[in-house]
Amino acid sequence: MRRVAITGIGLVCPLGHSASEVYAAARAGRSAIQRLNFPGSQRLTAPLAATVQFDAALHFEPQQQRLLDRVSHFAVVAADRAFADANCELTAAERTRAGVFLGTGMGGSQSLDDGYQTLYGEQSNRIKPMLVLQGMYNAPAAWIGIKHGLLGANLTYSTACSSSSVALGEAWLRIAHGMLDVAIAGGSEAPLSLGSLKAWEAMHTLASVDSADPSASCKPFSKNRSGMVLGEGAAIVVLEPWERAVARGAAIHGELLGYGLTTDTGHITRPSVAGQAAAIIAALSSAGISAEDVDSINAHGTGTQANDSVETAAIKQVFGARASRIPISATKAMHGHLLGATGALEFVLSLLALKNATALPTMHLQVPDPECDLDYVANTARAGAAGGIMLSNSFAFGGTNAVLALRAAGV
Amino acid sequence: MSTTTSKTTAERIRAILVKDYKLDPAHLTPDARLADLGVDSLGMAELMFNIEDEFGLELSADPTHITSFGDVVHFINALIADKSAASAMPAHATYAVANSSMGSAMGAPLAP
Repeated sequence: MRRVAITGIGLVCPLGHSASEVYAAARAGRSAIQRLNFPGSQRLTAPLAATVQFDAALHFEPQQQRLLDRVSHFAVVAADRAFADANCELTAAERTRAGVFLGTGMGGSQSLDDGYQTLYGEQSNRIKPMLVLQGMYNAPAAWIGIKHGLLGANLTYSTACSSSSVALGEAWLRIAHGMLDVAIAGGSEAPLSLGSLKAWEAMHTLASVDSADPSASCKPFSKNRSGMVLGEGAAIVVLEPWERAVARGAAIHGELLGYGLTTDTGHITRPSVAGQAAAIIAALSSAGISAEDVDSINAHGTGTQANDSVETAAIKQVFGARASRIPISATKAMHGHLLGATGALEFVLSLLALKNATALPTMHLQVPDPECDLDYVANTARAGAAGGIMLSNSFAFGGTNAVLALRAAGV
Repeated sequence: MSTTTSKTTAERIRAILVKDYKLDPAHLTPDARLADLGVDSLGMAELMFNIEDEFGLELSADPTHITSFGDVVHFINALIADKSAASAMPAHATYAVANSSMGSAMGAPLAP
């Protein structure tokens, strides 16, 4: 097994477009969640989301801009930023051992929504010729591979809310076992079409609007939490063997230590304490560490009643009495739930928190919940509280539980 | 077919290409290969879609060889002539794609 270094970070995020910008916003507890205002948004019960300020025309030629859905725009730009951060020029031979591992839960849903509007809404048969290429789930990964000439595995994972944690974990496995030497890994999601928002609304999983402060509508682990708020964006990292990174003088951000993956089979949406706890234990085992070694956790922390209490119970089950002394951050309160990209974004936020030896805050935790009684770093970042080894949890509809273990370099 | 019609068709198609591909109109000579101007196989499919809208035509998907700007103009002119000469019969047209990443990757065959 080879150690796996994280040498590049690329973000297209509601909180900003660089690691420093995103970290500063998260540390300050700044929420990017806001009221939506687009044609049709008045049809939403709770028109809320965390949106990305993004002008595709600044990044793509006109034909490419039209050919790629927003989810691919995000992915390509985030991958460019990760490559640039890694300062990683690949030779022809190295490109044969470089791959892409991307998670997305909803693919090119905006384009598909537009196509359905044409077909059913307008009763027109004039479906645009690029719709298949815009909508297909592997388009974001494919475009990254094409742009950078990466000839190894190019894989897309779609396990709902754990998609990009799975992508990172599967990339880690391949690097650790010597199957690849460079992996571009992470996730992208652009789910803020009216159709997608209405579908999520119909599930009764979305938060109601906090009328006093809409940006505070997502309240993980707070007794008055009412659900999640969708977000969009992409988070992508460059992974490579530790020795390779050292040999080329790369600025190493940190190390991906291990990955735990389990599946609940009891219910398509209801989370399971046993399944989540098993995923955490699997991550510890994979990383070769014990529960005593974990210093902090980025929670899945969606802000739904079910997730937050179950996740709390799972953490207690694994860490026992020590659970209450582990700082737990739920950053979705600020950047929203990026579905298939959220695991990767939270992995990056975890890395940045570790690098800065700071536990990021769980914002809008207003009312204590007896079922959520751990240390969630409520409402204010905590300097000096984090360091060492961190876990990043992602738990998904469909039952796919993925947990990543990481640490910062030189901390 | 009249020169006027041909010129008008050329101008209308040129306008689509200039708008969608930011091409210099001066480069859109009759012999100009569209692939050389960056209009690859996917671009050609998109161009035909937009031409359908512009001219009120419906093109079938059977292949025919179109590589230059002039080819496109002649092809559309022929369809317009067919349509007006036999308005009782629907116009059937065929087109094929010219090969040209994010450039060359767009030139791959339109197949899964």
